[in-house]
Amino acid sequence: MQTFERIHPVEFQRRFLAQETRHDGRAFSQFRPTHIVKGTISTAQGSATVRIGNTTVVCGIKAEVCEPDVKTPDEGYLVTNVELSPMCSARFRAGAPSEEAQVASEHIHRLFTKHVVNLSSLCIESGRAAWVLAADIVCLKYDGNILDAAVVALLAALDDLRLPAAEFDSASGAVSADKTKASGLALRRRLFPATFSLVDDAYLVADADDAEEQMVSASVLVILDDNGSVANIWKRGAGAMSRQTIESCVERAGKRKEVLARLLQ
Amino acid sequence: MSANIIDRRRINGPQRSVEPLYTAEAPEPFANGRVDSRALDQVRPIFIKTGSLATQTSAAASPSGSAYYEQGKIRISCAIYGPRQGRKSNTRMGVFDCDFKYAPFSCSWKKTHIKSPDEKEIALILEQAVAPAIRLEAYPKASIDAFVTVIESDGKAATISAAVNCISAALVDAGIELYDSVAACSMALNGSQWVSDCTQIEEDAASCSLLVARMPSADEVTYVLQHGKTAPEQTDQGIQTCINSCTRVYAVICRYLQASME
Repeated sequence: MQTFERIHPVEFQRRFLAQETRHDGRAFSQFRPTHIVKGTISTAQGSATVRIGNTTVVCGIKAEVCEPDVKTPDEGYLVTNVELSPMCSARFRAGAPSEEAQVASEHIHRLFTKHVVNLSSLCIESGRAAWVLAADIVCLKYDGNILDAAVVALLAALDDLRLPAAEFDSASGAVSADKTKASGLALRRRLFPATFSLVDDAYLVADADDAEEQMVSASVLVILDDNGSVANIWKRGAGAMSRQTIESCVERAGKRKEVLARLLQ
Repeated sequence: MSANIIDRRRINGPQRSVEPLYTAEAPEPFANGRVDSRALDQVRPIFIKTGSLATQTSAAASPSGSAYYEQGKIRISCAIYGPRQGRKSNTRMGVFDCDFKYAPFSCSWKKTHIKSPDEKEIALILEQAVAPAIRLEAYPKASIDAFVTVIESDGKAATISAAVNCISAALVDAGIELYDSVAACSMALNGSQWVSDCTQIEEDAASCSLLVARMPSADEVTYVLQHGKTAPEQTDQGIQTCINSCTRVYAVICRYLQASME
């Protein structure tokens, strides 16, 4: 069986998909078991570890202070980066971030800075000092669906974040912070992701793992917010997906949202 | 978050950012000068899980061997790829290459994404500490690559020794031929006392740090690194105490490796 999987991975997967099941025994619309643990890294101000099946992702948020941008004197910064290294899978190379990592970083950055974190809440002193949140999402083990895991990890880490009470001293220009008086960040809204992929141009599966991702022609990431409204739909790949398919994905994302909302409690 | 360099492949923050001045009180040290309830020669509790990166679903994309290592608050993950085709095709002996990096959130000091000279130095230290244990003559024209990522660090010398232990466990998991496992331990000099396995707070207060990597069954020391000023007799005494600690760490590593075989 293992030899067959190595020599003909595509045929191996097809044998399962033709029987309306997947190689790990899941149904097409079934997501892998998800675990979220907050506060795992003590050197970071906010952190979370998320496991979706075998995909394990750690998000750590470190807070520093800086001068805000001249154009936005009342806003701080949120800097998000996704790291995919050879440590998590043989598919990635050492060195500069791959295209996949860059694309993931950019997408998550745009989602979270505009719609989740209120950058004005990071201001310490208008025009003089503001917080910079450096959120790094490091993949520890890669088994497909990095985007879902990264979004959930960042959300959980932001929930876990405790910013020390900061005071700006205009005489010295320094910021002092008291860790004993730390408070959380009020988020604008929370985002709940769900990824659906078109495997082998024929089967629509939820939460494709690494083996299935090798045969994916198109995938759609649906992100809902707390009210169940669509915050983001991102369809990738050149494979064709009908409108009904995408609508059914949005509907199924609603069910996934309930599961994630409960886990993030 | 970057220092005057714009990293075009990452999301960049503002050009300059610093840590605020924290006004927290230092924790009250224990009677023997430590910040936790350990004895002076006691190493932090160790946890090892080998095969942590082996996924059942995609065997082709998994590393040959892997290990996840915890020592107190230190958390390190290591993946071993190999033996695979080396860069030079005419080498008589195999090549052991190590890539080390701190995750940006893992350090109590400021850490950028770009590899610092510190990380490159530690990668060389790890290569030199572990390579003597590998039977490289059994792998001509091949290279064995280790990728180490520190998820959380607590004491620089302690993290390096933890990385050595982690690589040792991962090499066994990968089935690479070894003469022996390498066990490493670190110490710091507080006043005139050698204190074993210091946390970051203890290391910052110490005047000298020492790291020893050893193959206990072969009774060979593979690496010694000392930072700071000491008298020769003090260094001798430190190395001897460290060697004893290495033997104890080795026993723990072996117990975990045996348990993982069952």
